[in-house]
Amino acid sequence: MRSELEEFGGIDDGTEPTGIETGTTIVAVAGSEGAVLAADRRASLGGRLVTNRSVRKIEPVAERAAVAFSGTVGGAQAFLRGLRAHRRRYEQRHGEASVETIATVAGRLIAEGGFGVGLLLAGVDRGESGPTPAVYEIDPAGGVLATEYAASGSGTQLAYGALEGSVDTGGTPEAIEETAIGAVRAASERDAVSGDGVTVARLSGAGVSIEEVA
Amino acid sequence: MEPDRQAYDRGQTIFSPDGRLYQVEYAREAVSRGSPSVGVRTAEGPVLAARRPLRSPLIEPESVAKIHEIDDHAAVAAAGHAADARRLVEVGREAATGHRIRYDEPIGTDALARAVADHVQEHTQTGGSRPYGTALLVAGTDGGLFEVDPGGTVAGWRAGAIGADAGEVRSVLAEGLEDEPGTLDRGIELALGALAREDSLEPEEVAVATPDAGEPATFSRLSSAEIDRFTPAS
Repeated sequence: MRSELEEFGGIDDGTEPTGIETGTTIVAVAGSEGAVLAADRRASLGGRLVTNRSVRKIEPVAERAAVAFSGTVGGAQAFLRGLRAHRRRYEQRHGEASVETIATVAGRLIAEGGFGVGLLLAGVDRGESGPTPAVYEIDPAGGVLATEYAASGSGTQLAYGALEGSVDTGGTPEAIEETAIGAVRAASERDAVSGDGVTVARLSGAGVSIEEVA
Repeated sequence: MEPDRQAYDRGQTIFSPDGRLYQVEYAREAVSRGSPSVGVRTAEGPVLAARRPLRSPLIEPESVAKIHEIDDHAAVAAAGHAADARRLVEVGREAATGHRIRYDEPIGTDALARAVADHVQEHTQTGGSRPYGTALLVAGTDGGLFEVDPGGTVAGWRAGAIGADAGEVRSVLAEGLEDEPGTLDRGIELALGALAREDSLEPEEVAVATPDAGEPATFSRLSSAEIDRFTPAS
């Protein structure tokens, strides 16, 4: 059954999703006034065949928040529809959702859901003291961890290797963007199921902008 | 109470010999006692406007909800029992959310109106429940404007009114409505003029929601200052 599923760079070991990371290289970094997400663009089947070379693995989920995901395509798409619906319902009742609230909802959905995805969530809260960036790592079992930078997917270790040397949490938007893109590129060099360019999402107090870079 | 009505008054699921459902008619009566809401279709999408029942100068006007967002692209204006309206708003939001999850697209205004009306209709036919004492005007950025009445009937309107003196409010709308849909500003003027009729209107007394210029358009409420531009001078 599992081999029928299209994965983002997943390695098919014949098992059902177990909460173990399955694929892709995604990176999140929080800066001084904003945050950034970066992802590769490759989808593959069973880790052996590249099935799509222009996948967007980063999607906005609120006015100033976006997620990058790794895992099965179908799970990610279903998860996004669910998360957006919950965010909209929350805002109708309680007003704008904080990044932490979105992380909590995303973690609960994943814990309940069997979506087979791991996420990095980045966003910016607009408090009285100005924009506050936030990054959360949400694992396939629904664990939610606040962090300043993170990598996920099959290229995790390669990406962390690149990040540890260069990351400047609290850096300028330009600096954190360069670091995040660099980490995805580094992983794409050696991880067989990551590659085909980079998608980057810039999060600021003004909103989300997503762009494909070579 | 008239003696010949008694037997048919006991449940809304019982027809009278002349084919009427008295409980549903009483529910319509409850609507006609509520403060009015109007809707006007324009070339830039429908305008909703409602008169807030401010029963004391001490009440916070913003807390009196007459217009409710259903989704980014749709809103309703209510007349009648405010508490019943709140329940119907929830039904509408569930329908809109379910549609997005199933189809990944915003629900059409007509489908939204029918989903709420289906729920309303159930309560004219189910033993042990009472009909909703609320009518809704459902508007969406796809241009649709529909009324849902306590019987569960859906009707599309070019310009519609529900609540107290709906007939008179509708005649003001009919007089002012041109053959072709006009601008949004003209629609707001017409809607507020119909709510005011001969009276003046304070901006706090009304709520107005219109599609904005975004892509895709979303429904948003006008601020008091924006409403002030359009309210008939006192």
